Amino acid sequence: MEVADVTKFLADTTPFDQLDAAALGQLSAHINVYYYQAQDSVKINTDRLMIVRTGIFTLYSDQQQLLTKLQSGDFYGYQQLLTGLTDSDTLICEEDGLVYWLAAEAFHQCRYQYKNIDIFFQRLFSRRLHQYREQQQASRFTLKISDVVQQRKIAIRPEQTAQEAAKLMSDSRVSSLLVEENNKLVGILTDRDLRSRVLAHALPASTQVSQIMTRQPQSIDRHAYLYEAVQQMSQHNIHHLPVTDQGVCCGMLTATDIIRSQQDHPVYLIGEIHRQLSTDGLERCSQQIAALAMTLSKQQVPAYEAGHIITTITDALTQRLIYLAQQKLGEPPCVFSWLAFGSQARMDQSLNADQDNALLLEKEPVGAVGEYFSALAEFVCQGLAQCGITLCPGNIMATNPELRLSLKGWSGRFARWIATPTPDALLKASIFFDLRVIDGSKGLFNALQEDILQRTTEAPLFLYHLAQTALQRTAPLGLFKNFILEQDGKHKKGLDLKKRGISLITDLVRVYALYAGIHEVNTRSRLQQLAAQGIIDSKDSQNLNDAFDLLAQLRWEKHQHDLQNSHDVTNLLNPAEVSGLARHQLKDSFAVINEAQSRVKQRFCREL
Amino acid sequence: MLGWLLRKNTAISEIVKRFISMPFPASSTPVDQANFLALDLELTGLNPRKDHIVSIGWVPIRGQEIVLAEAKHYLINSPVSVGQSAVYHGLHDHQLKNAHDLADILTELLTQYAGYVFVAHNSALDEQCLRYACQRCFGKAPRFRFIDTMQMEWQRLLRQGKVVKHDALKLPNCLKRHGLPDMANHHALEDAYSSALLLLSQLKLGGKTMTLSDLYLLSR
Repeated sequence: MEVADVTKFLADTTPFDQLDAAALGQLSAHINVYYYQAQDSVKINTDRLMIVRTGIFTLYSDQQQLLTKLQSGDFYGYQQLLTGLTDSDTLICEEDGLVYWLAAEAFHQCRYQYKNIDIFFQRLFSRRLHQYREQQQASRFTLKISDVVQQRKIAIRPEQTAQEAAKLMSDSRVSSLLVEENNKLVGILTDRDLRSRVLAHALPASTQVSQIMTRQPQSIDRHAYLYEAVQQMSQHNIHHLPVTDQGVCCGMLTATDIIRSQQDHPVYLIGEIHRQLSTDGLERCSQQIAALAMTLSKQQVPAYEAGHIITTITDALTQRLIYLAQQKLGEPPCVFSWLAFGSQARMDQSLNADQDNALLLEKEPVGAVGEYFSALAEFVCQGLAQCGITLCPGNIMATNPELRLSLKGWSGRFARWIATPTPDALLKASIFFDLRVIDGSKGLFNALQEDILQRTTEAPLFLYHLAQTALQRTAPLGLFKNFILEQDGKHKKGLDLKKRGISLITDLVRVYALYAGIHEVNTRSRLQQLAAQGIIDSKDSQNLNDAFDLLAQLRWEKHQHDLQNSHDVTNLLNPAEVSGLARHQLKDSFAVINEAQSRVKQRFCREL
Repeated sequence: MLGWLLRKNTAISEIVKRFISMPFPASSTPVDQANFLALDLELTGLNPRKDHIVSIGWVPIRGQEIVLAEAKHYLINSPVSVGQSAVYHGLHDHQLKNAHDLADILTELLTQYAGYVFVAHNSALDEQCLRYACQRCFGKAPRFRFIDTMQMEWQRLLRQGKVVKHDALKLPNCLKRHGLPDMANHHALEDAYSSALLLLSQLKLGGKTMTLSDLYLLSR
C-alpha cells in the first residue's frame, strides 16, 4: 500500500513523472526512507538509488574537491548501479533532509520496463543528458484563418470597369478583389482574370467587372482552421478565398497568406523590408520582429533556426539601409564590403543583440572616399538603431573611423593582433575574428578572410593567448535552490546563459576554427567542419553542439518569456525557475563545457 | 456472528501468546538497532471502551529506515455506524462494506510485528484502543511497548525553555517544525508515515548515544 506523499513526489520528479499511478505505487513499495542530519555522511556504495526528497547534500572527490550539490529531485548511486563500479567520492549532508533509497532490483526492473527511464539514467551517467528529450507534445500549434488573414477588405462594385479594378489592385498591392453589391459579396476578381478574360480576349478596359468576375465564389468563416482553407482551395483548385465573419465578408485569404503563415513568414517580412523606401518604413517592418519571434516559438522552431532567421532579418535591414544610403549619397566612389562581427556574423543573433559592424574598402579612406563612407556608415548604423538593433556600447561599428579601413589597413590590424597578442587586447579583439560579409563585394571580403586564416593557422603564440582568453570564464557546476553553484563553492544569484554558457562554447570553438583555418563562422558549422577534418573527436563535437543547442534553446525560451510578459529581454536565468529536466540538462551541459575547456587548455596552452 | 470466535479460539490465544513470548529489545538497546512500527488508528469516537476502529495504518522502521514495502492500510468492519466521526477521517459507512475483519488485521499485526516497539503520535489513545480490540477479539490483550512522538516533542520543546501551546503539538505543526513534508491528515497510513518521519528526525536530534530507555522516558 502506498504512501500518497511518496508517490506524489515521484510523480513530480523527472524521469518518474512518465509513470502512471499504478507503476508509481509499485515503485514506491521498493523504497526505504532515511532522515539525514547536517554533517552526516551518506554511505554511498550501497547498491541502491538515492533519491533526494528534501535537504542538501554535497559531493566531494577523494581530493576533497567540491563536485556538486544534490537537492530535491537529484539522484546518486545510479553510477554504481549502471556500471557495478564503486566510487571514492564522499557525500555529506549539508542541510537536514529525507532520502528515498530505491532498491536495485526495482531500479533495474523500471529501466527494463520503461525505455525512457533507462535512457535518462544512461545519459545522466554519461553526461549526455542534454541529448535527452521528453516526447514531443502531440498537439502542434494550430493556426486559424483569423491568425493569418489580413484585416483589410479591398472591394469593388460590379458596375465598375476592368481598368478601375486593375488600378485598385496595383494601388493596394493585392492580386485579387472582392466584388460587392450593397455590401453583399457577389463575386471575386483576380489579376489572372484581367489577363485571361480581358486582355486575351481583346476586351476594352471599360469592360464591367460583372462581366469578367467569378460569380458566387467559395468562402470560409474566419474562425475555421487554416488547414480547412487549404483543403477547400485544393479541392476547388482556387487560390483566393473570401473570408466571412458571421456571414459578412471581411477580407480575402490567398494561397500566399497560407504559405507565408507557415515557415515562410520571415520570408514575407524580408520581402517587405526590401520594398521599403525609407528608414521609417524599415522601422515599421522591424516592429514585426517580436511578433514573428512569438510565431516561430509557437511553431516550435528550434532556437538555432530562429537565430538564423533573426540574423537574416538583420542582414536584410542592413542591406536595405545600404541601398537607401546609396540612393541618398549617390554611387559609392569605390568597391566596399559591409562586414558584420560577433553574433550577426555567426548567424546566431538573439532578440537583444546590439550592432557589431565595420567597412572594408577597396581604397584608403581619405578625402572624398573617407567622407562618403563616413556618411554611409552614419546612415546605416543610425538606421539600424532606429530599427531596434541598438548601437554597440563598445563602439564596434562602421561609424568608428578606426573600423573603416582598406584591405591593407584591416590586414595590418589583424596581423598586429596575431603577431603580438596580449590577453587584454585579445579580450576585445576576439569578436573581430568572427566576421561575415553582409553587403558589397564578396571578393574583397574573401581576400581579407584568406589573409587572416593564413596567419592564424601558423601562430601558436596567438592561439595560446586566444585560448587563455577563452578559458578566463568557466561554466558553473550546477544550479541549486535559488543559486548557481560555483567552482569555488560560493553561491551567486542568476545565471547569465550567454556569459556563462553560450559564449564559452563560441569562444573555444573559435580557437579550434582559427587553428584549423576554417572559413565557417557559425558555431554549429564550425563544429561540423572540425569533426569532419578530424581536428576534434566527433563525439566531442556532437556533445558541444548539443550543449550549445540546449543553452541557446533555454535562452530563446527565456526571451520568449520576457517578451510575453513585456519585460526587457535578458539572458539572466533565475535558478529557482528551472525545473527538473532542464536543471539536470543544464548541469550536464556545464560539465561538457568544462571538459572541452580543459582539452583546449591541454592542446593550446601547454607547449609554450 | 461469534461462531468464528469459538472455532478459532485456541488458535487465537496462540497468537497473543506468541506475541507475548517474543521479548522486547532491552532498554539499553541503541535506538538505531531497534525495530519500530509506526501506527495510527482512525476511530468512531474518542472513548476506547465504547468506540470502534474504522481504519488502521502502519509502517515499520528498521535500522532507522522506513520500509515502505511493508506499509499497510486497512479499513475495518465496524459493528456500528461511523456516524459523525466521518467528518474527521473521511470514511463513510458505504466504504466500509468491503472492509476487513478486525481480528484478521490484528492477527497480521501481532504475528508480524512481535518484538517491535510501537510508535504513535499521542499514543495513549491508540494503545488503549488496541488493547480493548485485542480483548474483544482474542479474549486477552498483550502488553505493548509504545513510544509517543507527541510527548517526545513536548519534552524537547520544554527543554528548550519554550512555552508550548497545545496546537504546537499537533502532527502537522510538528512536521513543519522539523522541516518535514506536510501531508494529508486523518488518514491512518499517512499519519503513521508522518509520525515515522517525525521519529526519525527526533532520533537524529537525540544524538548517537540514545537508547530505548531514553525514548520511554521521553514518552511519559
